[in-house]
Parts: sequence; structure tokens; C-alpha cells
Amino acid sequence: MSTPTVFAPTTGAEVVDFVREAHDATRSLRIVGAGRWSDAGHAVRASDTLSLARLRGIVAYRPDDLTITVEAGTTLADIDAATRERRQWCPLLAWGDDEGTVGATLATATTGPFAETLGRPRDLALGIEAVDGTARMIVAGGRVVKNVAGFDLTRAIVGAWGTLAVITRAHLRLRPRPQVDETLAVTPREGFPTLPVAPLASFALTPDLAARLGVADARWLVRLGGNATAVAAMRATLASSGHVHALDPDAWSVLRRVCAPPSPAMHWRWDTLSRQLRDRFDPLHILNPGLLGEAR
Amino acid sequence: MTALATTLERIVGPTHVLARPASLLAYRSDALPGHRVMPALAVMPGTREELIAVMRALAEDGTPYVARGAGTGLSGGALADGVVLLALHRLRRIIQIDPVARTATVEPGVVNATLTRAVAAHRLHYAPDPSSQTACTIGGNIAENAGGPHCLKYGVTLNHVIRATVVLPSGEVVQLDRGDASASASASSAGYDLLGAFVGSEGCFGVVADVTVRLTPDPERVITLLADFMSVRSAANATSRIIAAGIVPAALELMDQATIEAVESSVYAAGYPRDAAAVLLAEVDGAAAGLDDDVRAIEALCLESGARSVRIAHDPAERTRLWLGRKKAFGAMGRVAPHLVVQDAVVPRTALADLLEDIQAIGVKHRLRVCNVFHAGDGNLHPNIPYDADDADESARVHKAMKEIMTRCIDAGGTITGEHGVGLDKLPYMEALFTPDTLDAMCSLRSVFDPTRRSNPGKVVPVRSCREWHATPAARV
Amino acid sequence: MTGTALPIAQSPLAEARAGLDRCVHCGFCLPACPTYLALDDENDSPRGRLLLMGALLEGSISPDDATIGRHFDQCLGCRGCESACPSGVPYGELIEATRATLATHRPLPFVARFILSVFAELWLLRPVLAAARVVRASGLARLVARVLPARMGMPFAMLASTARRVAPGYDPATVRLASTDDTHHMDVHRGRAALLTGCVMESLFTDVNRATERTLAVNGWQLCEAGDQVCCGALHAHAGDPETARTLARTNIAAFEQSGADVIVMNSAGCGAMCREYGHLLADDPAWAARANRFGAKVRDVSELLAEAGPRQPASVPGRATTTVTYDAPCHLQHAQRITAPPLRVLAALPSTTLVPLTDSDQCCGSAGIFNLVRPEVAERVLDPKLARIAESGATVVATGNPGCLMQIGGGLVLAGSSVVARHPVELLDMAYARAARAD
Ligand SMILES: Cc1cc2nc3c(=O)[nH]c(=O)nc-3n(C[C@H](O)[C@H](O)[C@H](O)COP(=O)(O)OP(=O)(O)OC[C@H]3O[C@@H](n4cnc5c(N)ncnc54)[C@H](O)[C@@H]3O)c2cc1C
Ligand code: SF4
Ligand code: SF4
Repeated sequence: MSTPTVFAPTTGAEVVDFVREAHDATRSLRIVGAGRWSDAGHAVRASDTLSLARLRGIVAYRPDDLTITVEAGTTLADIDAATRERRQWCPLLAWGDDEGTVGATLATATTGPFAETLGRPRDLALGIEAVDGTARMIVAGGRVVKNVAGFDLTRAIVGAWGTLAVITRAHLRLRPRPQVDETLAVTPREGFPTLPVAPLASFALTPDLAARLGVADARWLVRLGGNATAVAAMRATLASSGHVHALDPDAWSVLRRVCAPPSPAMHWRWDTLSRQLRDRFDPLHILNPGLLGEAR
Repeated sequence: MTALATTLERIVGPTHVLARPASLLAYRSDALPGHRVMPALAVMPGTREELIAVMRALAEDGTPYVARGAGTGLSGGALADGVVLLALHRLRRIIQIDPVARTATVEPGVVNATLTRAVAAHRLHYAPDPSSQTACTIGGNIAENAGGPHCLKYGVTLNHVIRATVVLPSGEVVQLDRGDASASASASSAGYDLLGAFVGSEGCFGVVADVTVRLTPDPERVITLLADFMSVRSAANATSRIIAAGIVPAALELMDQATIEAVESSVYAAGYPRDAAAVLLAEVDGAAAGLDDDVRAIEALCLESGARSVRIAHDPAERTRLWLGRKKAFGAMGRVAPHLVVQDAVVPRTALADLLEDIQAIGVKHRLRVCNVFHAGDGNLHPNIPYDADDADESARVHKAMKEIMTRCIDAGGTITGEHGVGLDKLPYMEALFTPDTLDAMCSLRSVFDPTRRSNPGKVVPVRSCREWHATPAARV
Repeated sequence: MTGTALPIAQSPLAEARAGLDRCVHCGFCLPACPTYLALDDENDSPRGRLLLMGALLEGSISPDDATIGRHFDQCLGCRGCESACPSGVPYGELIEATRATLATHRPLPFVARFILSVFAELWLLRPVLAAARVVRASGLARLVARVLPARMGMPFAMLASTARRVAPGYDPATVRLASTDDTHHMDVHRGRAALLTGCVMESLFTDVNRATERTLAVNGWQLCEAGDQVCCGALHAHAGDPETARTLARTNIAAFEQSGADVIVMNSAGCGAMCREYGHLLADDPAWAARANRFGAKVRDVSELLAEAGPRQPASVPGRATTTVTYDAPCHLQHAQRITAPPLRVLAALPSTTLVPLTDSDQCCGSAGIFNLVRPEVAERVLDPKLARIAESGATVVATGNPGCLMQIGGGLVLAGSSVVARHPVELLDMAYARAARAD
């Protein structure tokens, strides 16, 4: 057993080479982005570390197509900064903070408070490039919003916690930012009123959290989006059912940091198909071994 | 084969096994009759138990098979070349509707529109609405990851499936979900997105025995607009501008003059202006408040892009008529010539205007008439070419034109199919679109579900792209 | 009728080939086809049958292949597929051409031949239908229907369902109308109308014919007679015997020319669809083609004539309980003649009536000419869902404007022991007029 290496490639081709060497030498790899999800699953028992942090940057931003292509190590904050000016966003807005990388967000399929309305990572990834455990460079999907050519490798790899392939690049769907975007703390007299369309998010606050946001008695944190008329109508409905209080959208960042649900990687399902999948893409189990609690 | 036929007859009854060649003629093709092959026999299970028993019998016999729903596929996906055709249209029970959780569990042979009709009383609907929805089955939709006009806002089939019971080619029955801890049946466990991999696998990964789908509440209000343009380019530009303006229309469909002409001559004449170069059918839906603002914005953007007029449907009857024309457009082209080919390429929305002009030029060059009717909001093109297959010269020109169109779309950063699937028809383009490594990885994915390659053999990925399979030739009946 | 076998290339089917080419195989017609839904085989679907027609032309199947022949026989001819087809495939024409082609190769089923010959010969038809009336009047029909197993009992149940309590006549001039502006209604003369009395209608649905005449009179039409009329020939044309159909058509054309009518009224959707197509049927007969076209252009369904100006709404009778009525569209009205709104307008004029929708009302009930007599097992499977939808609708009366459908649905209801009755829309309007006249 040689000494552990930390390798931080800057191109996809380098990732292929590194994985090939690891494969040929049967050395296992711990795959990290910004290193923020490291403790989300079972302990990884790996020889070396493959960091995607330096594979960072926006490859192509096409505002009129509402798509963006980024390297895996690009942070959510980078994307936010790039798309803000054109009033767009990539609403991954995952639990945690915006310093997390796209690669990790996709690999863990981490959702956030807006997943139901704006899409989950599994839906927002139009295509990916990824290197599997046999060092095949997979170029799946593309940057068009609808695509059924071939079997859907993107779906298989997104959410696989890096145990099938190392994501190196992603094509993401962007959305226009809502024309009007309001965050409200709501204290309804009775139950939460029914709105004619779902708000971007509504989150039940614990007293603790409410206090932390400075709205001690509030029961719900609600985000409304749409054109001015639509948002005004929703706000009026909420106001008529109790007390509403406008908040800075930063409230959501606080929420995302403190309210992350427990990691699903702790209870992974290892049925026949799942084992087969792992074995077909990473037959030597060199990618994040042990993370999902699999038996060797 | 006769021994197998006898076994299958014992399972489903003699009337539901067809073995005479004359009785199999009707099953030679799907909705793309340019491809025609004869199945060895057809078997039609009537219950889930029969389906499982049939799959086990086929597995035991080592016989390849091809599933078929309504045969409305447009890629030759449901064709069985000398193998068993497994017709699933008899499995059409709606097993459960849960209006509170907004889900429905159905058998694969349930027709898409039938499901929507069954839940209408709860003010719900099944959102994916392929233009073939009155005929195609949910099983076929899952297999193709079908889209439809309203997928622009609501997403494609994959976004509406929660879990599926699948009979694997081995005969084993498994439950698939998307691996989200919250959505899975067994609450807290998470896993790979096996359902995501399965949806759109074109019948190559196994057979859907039942599926639980999400139902969508009917919007409070729907407004449909028809804008007509004097050039296709301005209609395409209007599309881009609407999307870029941050409006999310429920649907945005474009039809060119050749299509308008065909529709207006059919029983589904919708009142599209016959002299327009293109019409854009747009729809917005949602909460009543604010919807008029979106309509005014779309109207303004269309007029600024050069629309001659914008008409708003006054009542549900007019709305239905405008939509029927769109949904029946493909069929209506049958009046133009005896045969028809259709492609399904997707390009980045901003490339639409240029591409439509290129397509027109390619048509002119090969002396063909190209009719375009498509999901403009998604950049999902459907160039249709009506022709006479008995005319060898014309057929050759059609073939060339289609190839050129596809190449152009790939060059523009697009893909070869957005919703119809690769099937048999688009196999030749796969190697232009994907790297050898990627095609090989697709083969690996397939092997997870179907290691013996008996499910819909010869479709989607060219066999020669699969390194692992080189050694062992596929079994045949 | 089994003449010498024609080579396929010269067959009626070959002549109709252009229609076949219109099919783009989209499959939209599948869910519209009752035999596909009942039999679950694409060979029994419109698209499948069209593919088989193509295969016949191609020579890849033989015209005397009995299995294939059965798929054509099993077509109800309801033309539900035509209404669903975006491509305008003239399916009705194609199936008739196919049947005519096949008839030269193999005889029709015995039952079909027997029934058709009875309908072609008045001297045979009259006594047969008269005997049927006697059986019905004796109450025997209902009894026998109950005793026999379903399939054999059906013909008797159908017969039983045609029984009516004799409706008293009334003087059209005395009918009180709902609107007082409309009191001088008898002064308006809309024109002269002659009724195709029809073979089945006049024998088993005499009351419907009289109701047709009275309601037209209330609505300002002057009735005249066409004495020498015969069977319209629809059954023969559908079954693949166009020659007999032509002979019958010529007789009818002459008879109605004699009557001097402005319009030729139909209260049987099947006959109406046929009569409109006389022009097509006799297109190759130079002596008759123009006359046939003129005849066809005068054909109107009674519901169209009534709906044209109303129909006049009878005054309601105070204290009358509300009846719940639903409407089942006869295929030959809805699909073949594309008449959908007029019958509903007739029903909407009924006082004290709630009109409820019938799910799948555009689906065939399985009657389709003589189909229910020739292929009872298929007809039964097509009828079952229809009866279920009727039961779900909550109606006590199902209205439909075609004798075959009245008997098929009526018979099915009798066998099922249901209290729901099947009635012609015109009968319902006539009863309402009768009550309004009596109340005067
Ligand atoms: C006029 C017209 C318009 C259309 N418009 C659209 C559109 O807007 N959007 C769109 O996406 N498509 C469209 N289509 C294509 C087609 O309707 C869809 O692909 C549809 O999903 C096919 O369903 P089907 O039941 O007919 O499947 P089939 O054609 O019978 O089969 C399609 C594929 O699914 C597989 N399959 C079928 N059932 C199962 C099952 N239970 N389990 C596993 N595999 C199965 C088959 O093996 C085959 O590979 C259109 C087609 C036509 C003719
Ligand atoms: S006429 Fe009726 S039964 Fe015959 S194919 Fe058409 S829909 Fe089916
Ligand atoms: S609907 Fe018309 S075009 Fe489509 S398959 Fe049926 S007959 Fe052919």
C-alpha cells in the first residue's frame, strides 16, 4: 500500500487518466467536491482522494436557451452570480449553502425547499459528463431541454453518490427568476389557506427557527413568485387569513443551512438491480467504497 | 416455436395467441409503417398474473420478445422481427385513484386520455399529453418517456411517474422508484434512480406491469391564443422572446403553412388562417389572478415579432377546436400523400429560426414538401415529409433529406429524438451523436436489467457498439 | 350473389385503393372501434382491417382465407373510426368494397344470406314481420326472452322491446305550446315532406312513424306519401351485395319522385345514411346517376327538420314528475351523417325532463344492421359496456334515433331486467305534444 495521494485535476481528460490508473492498480478513490458532503454517508475506506474543486468554471452560459454548462467543481454561488444579471437562476438551491459544488449537489441529488416547484437535481440536469469506475468517459444527455436519445445514463449517475461515476461537467436547465419574488412570514389564524397555485415554497417553522429569523410568532415561511398581479393576489389571500410579515429572501439561506434533513445515504437499498448497477459501472468498487454501506 | 405457442395458449387462452402469418400482418408495423417486420407469434395476456406467467415462459424458453402498447410509436420501437410480440393492450385496468394524494395506479394498457377522463371528476388530470393521447398507452408512454405540448410547463412522463412494477426479462418482478427517500414506497430508504433509468428505455429493460403516476390539479383558468405570422422566422423568434421574457406558457406550438393546409382540409379544421406562413398556438394556465397579464405580454411579444394578428379563444369549444387541429395534424397529413416520415430532433431554442430555414432549403433541394408542426417552446422539431413509397426515386430523396436534416440538428448542438425514441428508425444516427465509450456504457446500463438481451432486441443502441456483446450473438427464435 | 371470383386487381377494393392510401397508421381509430375494444385484437380494429385490405391487394393474403374474412365480417360498419380519423380515410366505402370483393370469393354466412333475401323481397318480408308482430302482441316474446339462454333470447327480447302502449292520436292544431307567441303555428308552411317508412320501422315501429308524421305536422310540415317505396338497401350494401342495393335504390328514387316531396324524411339513421349515398351507389349508371344525386340531396333526418326552427316546445302539464332522459347517438347519424346537435335539441324541447349526458354515447351499441343477428356473441360484448354506461347515467329513458339501436339497446335492457326503456326522440316529443293537446 503506497501513501495516499490527493489529486485535483483541472480537466476531464485528467480525471479519466487518474481513474484509469487507479483502476489498473486497484486503488480506491474518495471523491470530493468542496468537501462539504464528506460525512453524509458511511465512512469511505479509500486509498486516494480525487478532488473536483479545481475543475471549476462556467463553460457556456446561453441565456436565451435558458441553459448553462459548468464544470463539476463550480459552486452554486458561481452560477448564481453568472445568471443574476439576466434575471435567471438555476434553482438547485440545495440544503446547505451556495459554496457547495454542482458536482456534489448532483451526485447526492440534494434537494432543497424549492424542489417541488422549481425542480430537483434529477430534473434540472439535462446532461452530464462523467467518468465511471472503468475509466469510460460518459457524455450523456445534452444541452437541449428534451432528450430521449439512448438509455438515460444521466438519471442513473445523478444521485448515485459518486459510486457509479465521477461527474466532471453538467448541462443545467435555468429558469427565469420570478418577476416578483416575495418572502413572507405567515401566522394564519387557523390552518394554512389554500392558494390557487402552489407558492414557490412554504415551510412550517419551529418556534426556534422563527425566533432565529426574528419573527418569533410566525408559523410559516412562504415564498411567492409570479407576475405582480398574481403575487399580490396570493399575498392578499394570506393576509386575509392571518398575519403576514415581509422578510428578506436571505431567510431562505438561513433555513437551508439549519434545516437540512438527514442524509439518505445512511439507508441505501442494495437490491439485486442496484448491486448489478454498481458492478457494471464500477466492478472493482474503487469509487467511494463503503459510502453507501454496501457489503464488499 | 409450436411448443412455446402451446405453452402460451395454456396461459392466456387460444384466442389470445396468434401464430398464423396472415393473422400477424396487422402487427407488422407501428405508426411509422416505413418499417415492417413479421413477428413469429403474438401473445396478449389479459391479467397481471398472465403477464408474469408469459414472461417466465419466455425466459425459460430463452425467447426474445417485444412489448407493444397501442402501436402509435413513431420510431419502429414495437416491431418484433421474427420474435414474440407481447401485446399489452388488454391490461387496461385502472387499479386505484387517490384524489387526496393525487396519484393513480394503472395497468400499462390504459390509454393516456382514458386516465385523464377517469380522474376529471376530481378536477385532476394526467399532465403528459402526447398528441396521440387518445390512443397511446401509459405503458408506451413510460417506455418512450413521452412528451406532449403541455410538457413545456409540466415536464415529460418521467416527471410524473412515482413508481412502477416491472417484470424483468428474467421473469422476476421488481418495484422501481426514483430513489428519493421521500417518494419511495418503503419510506426511509434511498437508492439509485432505477425508475429514472427505466423510463425511456424503449421496452429494452423489461415490461411495465403497473405504474403509479402523479395527477395534476386542473388549473383555475386556461387561456389559449393563436398568433399568425407571415414568416416562419418571425414565429420562431416570437417563441424565443416569450420564453426569455420569463413567462412560462403551458404550451407553445408552431405549425407552418403546409401543416395548416393539411389540418384545414381535414375533419379537424380549426380555423387556422390558410394564408399564414406559420401559426403559433400558445396557452397559459394557472391561477386566474395575473393570467391576463401574461396573455397581454405574449400578445405584445408576438406582435412585436411580426405577428399579423393574435386571436384569443373565446370559449372552451373554440379552445378545443384550436387544440384538436394541432393534435391531429400528423394524421391530417395522410391526405397529402400515401406515405409519411416524421423526425423528432431537438435543437436549442435559439437555433430554431435558422434551422427551420435550413430544413426548408433541404426540402427544396430534394424537391420534397416538408411540413413542420412541433413543440416550439422546447425546441422539439417534427419535420414531416409526405411522399409515395412506391416511387423509388422519391423515397431515395426523402431518405437523403432526412439524413441532412438530422445532421444539421446534431451540428446545431441538438439531439436526434426528443420524445419518439430511437427504436429502429434512428439507430443509424446514434454513432454520430454519442462516443463509443458512452454507447458502451448504455449497453452496460441495459445489461443491468436485461443481461441476456432478450427484451426488444436490436433497438436503441447499435449492437456493434457493445463491447461486452461482441462475443455472444443475440439469441433468435 | 357468389358470382365468379374477380381478380383482385379488378375488384371493387382495387378501385377504392386511393382511400386506403390515406391511412397513416396513427392508430387514433383504435379506441373508437367497438370491436377492437370487445375482441382485443388489432385484426378487429379499423387500422388492422385496413392493413388486411392492403395485404389482400398486395396478394399476401388470399381472399378466401376464412380467418381473415371473419375480421371483415365482424366489423359493425358503425364508422366510429371515420369520426376519429384525422386523415379522412373513407372506411365505410372501403369495408363495403372489401365485402363486395370477398363476396365473389366466398358466400356470406348462411344467416346473413337468409336475412338479406327476406329484406329484398317484399312478399317474404311482410309475412315475416307480421308474424313477429303477432308474437310480440301475444306477450310471448318477453316470456321466451326470459326463458331462453341470453344469446338465443336476444332476438325475442329485441322484439319485446319494440312493444308500445298504443299512443292516442291528437289533432296537431290543438297542441298548446310553451310560448304564447307561437299560437298560430299551424299557419306556417315549411314544405312538403315524404317519409321513408322503412321496412322495420313500418312493421315494428309503426308508432314511431306516426309520431314522426304528427310532430312534423305540428312543426309546419305538410306530409305526402310515396306509395311504392321499398327497403332502402342499406343491409345489402353493407353486407357486400351492392347489386340488390342498386335495384332497391332505383325503385325508391322513382317512388319519391312521384310523391312530389321537397324533402325525404328519415327516422331511421341507418336508412338515412344509405339514402344519402344513393348518388355514390349509382354513380356508374348513366340513366340514374343524376336522379340519385337529386334524391340524396333531399334526404333529411327528422331531427334536423324539427331542430331547424325549434322544435316547437309543448306546454308543460302541471304536476307532472320530471323524467331523466339520456341520449345515445346512433352511429349512422353521428359518424355516417355527422348529425350530432339536432337530436339533442329535440330532447331539450321536452317539458319536465332532465337531460343527462351518457358517457361514450358515440360508441356503437353493437346493433349495426343485421350484425346482431349474424354475430350475436360479438354484438353482446359490444352491448355490455353500453348497458353499464346507461345504468350509470341514472336515466329512466334512453333516446336514440335508429330502429336497430332501439332494438339492440331495448332488448339488452329487457334481458337485464332493467326498468329503463329505449325510445326514439320523436316518440318522446310526440307524447309531450299529445299531453299538451289533451290538457286543452
Ligand atoms: C399522430 C401521433 C402523434 C404523436 N405525438 C406524440 C407526442 O406529442 N409526444 C410523444 O412523446 N409521442 C408522440 N407520438 C408517439 C407515440 O404516441 C408515443 O411514443 C407513445 O408513447 C407510444 O405509446 P404506444 O402505447 O402506442 O406504444 P407502442 O408504439 O406500442 O410501443 C412503443 C415502445 O414502448 C414499448 N412498450 C410498450 N408498452 C410497454 C410496456 N408496458 N412495458 C415496456 N415497454 C413497453 C414498446 O416495446 C416500444 O418500444 C405520436 C404518435 C402519433 C402517431
Ligand atoms: S366501422 Fe365500427 S366496427 Fe368497423 S372498424 Fe370502424 S369503428 Fe370498428
Ligand atoms: S385514424 Fe385513420 S389514418 Fe389513423 S390509423 Fe385509423 S384509419 Fe388510419
